[in-house]
Amino acid sequence: MNAARDILRQLLRDPAAAVGLLIILLLVFIAIFAPLLATHPEAIWDMNPRQRLLPPSDTYVFGTDRMGADIYSRILFGARITMVIASVAVGVALLIGVPIGLISGWTQNWLGEALMRVSDIFLAVPQIVLAIAISQTLGPSIENVILALSVTYWPWFTRLVHAEVRSLKNETFIEAAIALGVPTWRIILLHVLPNVASPIIVRTSIGMGFTILTASALGFLGLGAPPPAPEWGRMIAESREFLPEAWWYALAPGLAIFLVVMGFNLLGDGLRDVLDPRIRRAGARR
Amino acid sequence: MRDRHNDILDLSRRDLMAYAGAAALTAGTALGSATPASAQAKTRFVFANESDYDTVDPHAAFDVGRVAIRLNIYDGLMRWQKNPAVLEPWVAESHTISPDGLVYTFKMRKGVKFHDGTEVKAQDVVYSLERILAVGKGAASLFKSMVAPGAAKAIDDYTVEFKLAKPSAIFLSIVPEIHIVNSALVKKNEKGGDHAEAWLSKNSAGSGAYKITQFDPAIGFVAERWPSHFKGWGPKWIDEIEFRAVKDTNTRVLGLIRGDFNGIGGYLQTDQLNRIKANPATQVLEAESMRVMMAQINTTRAPFNDVHVRRGINYAFDYDGFNKEILGGLVERNPTPLPNTIWGVPKDVKGYSFDIEKAKAEFAQAKVKLDKPIELAYLTGFQQSEQAAQLLQNGLTKAGVQSKVVGYPWPTIVERFKDPATTPDVSIYWISTYYADPHNWVGEMFSSSTAGTFKNASHYKNPKVDELLEKALRSTVQAERAKLYEEVTRIVVDEAAGLWIYNTKWYGPYSSKLKGIVFCPIGSAQEMRTAYYES
Amino acid sequence: MRILALILQRIAWLVPTLAGLVAVVFFISRVIPADPVAKLAGETASRAQIELLREKLGLDRPLLVQLVDYYRQLLSGDLGTSLFTTRPVWDDLYARLPATIELTIVAMMIAVVIGIPLGVVSALYRNTIIDHVLRIITVAGLAVASFWLALVLQLYFAMDLGWLPLQARITGFPPPSITGFYIVDTLVEGNFTRFRNVVAHLTLPAFTLAFPALATVVRFTRAGVLETLQKNFVVYQRAMGIPSGLIVWKYVLRNSLISTVTQIGLLFGILLAGTVVIETVFQWPGIGAYAFEAILQSDYAAVMGFTVYAGVVFGIVNLVVDIGHAILDPRGTGA
Repeated sequence: MNAARDILRQLLRDPAAAVGLLIILLLVFIAIFAPLLATHPEAIWDMNPRQRLLPPSDTYVFGTDRMGADIYSRILFGARITMVIASVAVGVALLIGVPIGLISGWTQNWLGEALMRVSDIFLAVPQIVLAIAISQTLGPSIENVILALSVTYWPWFTRLVHAEVRSLKNETFIEAAIALGVPTWRIILLHVLPNVASPIIVRTSIGMGFTILTASALGFLGLGAPPPAPEWGRMIAESREFLPEAWWYALAPGLAIFLVVMGFNLLGDGLRDVLDPRIRRAGARR
Repeated sequence: MRDRHNDILDLSRRDLMAYAGAAALTAGTALGSATPASAQAKTRFVFANESDYDTVDPHAAFDVGRVAIRLNIYDGLMRWQKNPAVLEPWVAESHTISPDGLVYTFKMRKGVKFHDGTEVKAQDVVYSLERILAVGKGAASLFKSMVAPGAAKAIDDYTVEFKLAKPSAIFLSIVPEIHIVNSALVKKNEKGGDHAEAWLSKNSAGSGAYKITQFDPAIGFVAERWPSHFKGWGPKWIDEIEFRAVKDTNTRVLGLIRGDFNGIGGYLQTDQLNRIKANPATQVLEAESMRVMMAQINTTRAPFNDVHVRRGINYAFDYDGFNKEILGGLVERNPTPLPNTIWGVPKDVKGYSFDIEKAKAEFAQAKVKLDKPIELAYLTGFQQSEQAAQLLQNGLTKAGVQSKVVGYPWPTIVERFKDPATTPDVSIYWISTYYADPHNWVGEMFSSSTAGTFKNASHYKNPKVDELLEKALRSTVQAERAKLYEEVTRIVVDEAAGLWIYNTKWYGPYSSKLKGIVFCPIGSAQEMRTAYYES
Repeated sequence: MRILALILQRIAWLVPTLAGLVAVVFFISRVIPADPVAKLAGETASRAQIELLREKLGLDRPLLVQLVDYYRQLLSGDLGTSLFTTRPVWDDLYARLPATIELTIVAMMIAVVIGIPLGVVSALYRNTIIDHVLRIITVAGLAVASFWLALVLQLYFAMDLGWLPLQARITGFPPPSITGFYIVDTLVEGNFTRFRNVVAHLTLPAFTLAFPALATVVRFTRAGVLETLQKNFVVYQRAMGIPSGLIVWKYVLRNSLISTVTQIGLLFGILLAGTVVIETVFQWPGIGAYAFEAILQSDYAAVMGFTVYAGVVFGIVNLVVDIGHAILDPRGTGA
């Protein structure tokens, strides 16, 4: 508990990380209270063709879209979709990737090797290539986007954990534990896992940002949540035919994606500085 | 302002100089018969198309997207011309139909030349039909329902005969799709009995007004005028045409305004058309056309086998909101499956209007409860279809009925249509003019014999309708057929067997100085033979 | 010897990995409930006609048989025939490859040529305004959605100012193909107007594609330079009185470059992934846009061809990087 408070205190000392944390908290807040914050909460399903493509005004803060719906309200509800997709996809990837990484890193036999080779297959092409193929196969829906993203993201956790566990195995305290006859599951749970937690947390934060970007790209390509879901990437795709006249149409969703991903990246950076001083602010995409 | 156009200005100036140089050379060898003035008149037309020219095989495609190849590079025995469309003799001079309606005999013109100089003969027509049936793409399936391999026969060099399995009122309508290929040339390029599919997908063997000089599937094709085309030429013409795929709407519009393109595809938003109209260098031509936007309702299962549910859906769509607001009045309300502008339309049928109260009343009369959301399918990548689905969803929600909007890419939805069990509840798309006959719409949409095809996702079964349609296909008297199609149309509208939204107008965005464009619903004005620039 | 062993080992692993990748994508693409055959057969085809065509194309056999067949085909260097273009997939990919390579190389150059100096500057002026500004820019570079950045740039530079073309590779038809790279070909042709036209078309997509990679390069270089600066020999040389500019350019940069070179694999991955979206937005006639179209149309052979291409290219680049790394830094080969 104390450790967590320590980390938080250090984080807040870094203005960039503090901003990142603030953005994420704001996103969570918006996602939860979207119906209360929205000026036109019916905008996610109600269309008013007679009010379409209006520029920003007092009534429609960010303007209206091609169906005459309030863009501001749709952005707020879009935060829900974004949060659900990113957290479930990364969560599932964690659940698949971390155990496989632990097993393959710990057991240096054919099983571990085979698991790593399977993860190599998924890393043999950029994530979005496989994600597009999968979500196109399954048809556009939020569930399928989540599936496509988690199925293609877990190997990153596997690789990370695998490498960490392998180097940990040579550490004296682990060797000592093995020599003392401590059961393997105990060693892994009590000694290995806590020691690989830091890089996992850092990667989770960066991974959230990356997953949001990929998800919005799928939405942009028409493979994301179907209409009328206020998915940000899809909103940008819709806007293309109305540019340059309806400049406001693409502005708000693009900025929303940017801010949220920025938030997770800043937080990830800050966490890395606090948790893992060895590599300070190295480039880390993915 | 000047800077931004520099590139283009430089380019065209350079091109002009190149042409002038080439022309000067020819002039020299031709004993100075051509003057530099006429050399400068060498004209080019660049068209930006919405979709790819992935193949130039005239028998592999039967769509509007690639119609420029079929109309400009190839000729058929007959051709749809003008608006409203009329079937005119083309390479054929005349034709006769046997009294039993089974044998069609075409007399062909003499002296029609392929691009390599050989004459177009009856044997080429026979080969072309055989090739269509063998390759099995494009319009092949339509032909297969009427003729079998061996049905075409060359009586002599200039007479060709087709024997049908049963009489058909629409056979003549699709004769234009027998694009005549140079059989000697094509046969030379066959590989292992492939009917030269590989070769003809990137080379041409036609007799049309233009011949292909360059083709790149990633870009498009360039064709130069074939001066010996049998139809002859007017006093002015375009020397070289280029059709290229430019898939982004904005690029097409901007390119037209900047002068990169001289014509672009016309499926545009209102404000874009207005922008083009407002620019003095560009114009928008308009014409009545025949392309009906509609929703097909899968009538095979509950609750959609209940006429009240189908009527409720019809009352829940905001027709004016869609046609007048979203499409800005670019289209006209079309209350029946037949385009307003064709014969066979019962003029007194008003169709359905947007009325939530009536929709609620109809849904209340339904025998089966609407307990699961209605699936509204749209075509992925087509904004209009998607917007219509959303608007219908909106209306249904107001009438207290749940629905979900699902997008399918074209090949996926066609696969689903094949089986009533996988056909979406409601599918929103278009039926264009493949041939100008009512059968193209109301016939193929509601005959039980076509259930599961692209045109018939309703799987509608009504013995009375089937009987009337069968009669209409066997008769060759238009007045008689018109009555039959009117009756069918009345029935399906009353039964709300589908939902019909609009009949589109055609919009042709072009350079202002381009003249001589002739619109025909089959071909969307892409036949360039008559076009020229006003000096 | 160790390096040779490493190379052989990596190549040996590349083959089963690619085979696995092919199997994964093969099964995914075959499960697609779409029917390209139906589209080919025409809009009015009956079910019987469609089945006949399916048989002709060999798509009616069990999946495993089709997969084994596909492996056999691949081994003989045949990627199959695209269902829609009816041309060999190899030809389609080959025709589009130069467009993608040209775009990727230019983007890579932008990323490296701009990124490394910025990274060095950022490290040398650590914790100053310059560093903070650069940090914000690089974090932004990794946070902005590339398709949105593309739209914003198109909106401003192509639509508003009209300086640059919206999309495509060139106005009109391409120059006579010598290398397939329009930059080179127009120069060979000696046509400077066309050359400028090509450069203008390249600018927006290359920059958009380069942006995230650029940010990555800046961050890596900064980290690398900082690490080198802290190493003893720099401190030693500083103590010996060598002017600091010389230290930076001669020692620090060279050392940090090594770390950047080893990241080229990662950079390449970013760029390769980027081509799918960027080429689609800019209508760039390359392999990324081809892949997206192929997936939308469920063109099996083309999807597989693209995957194999991506796997092979990615695999080779990583192999080269690993070898380079092994040569530059022989200690770290075990990782």
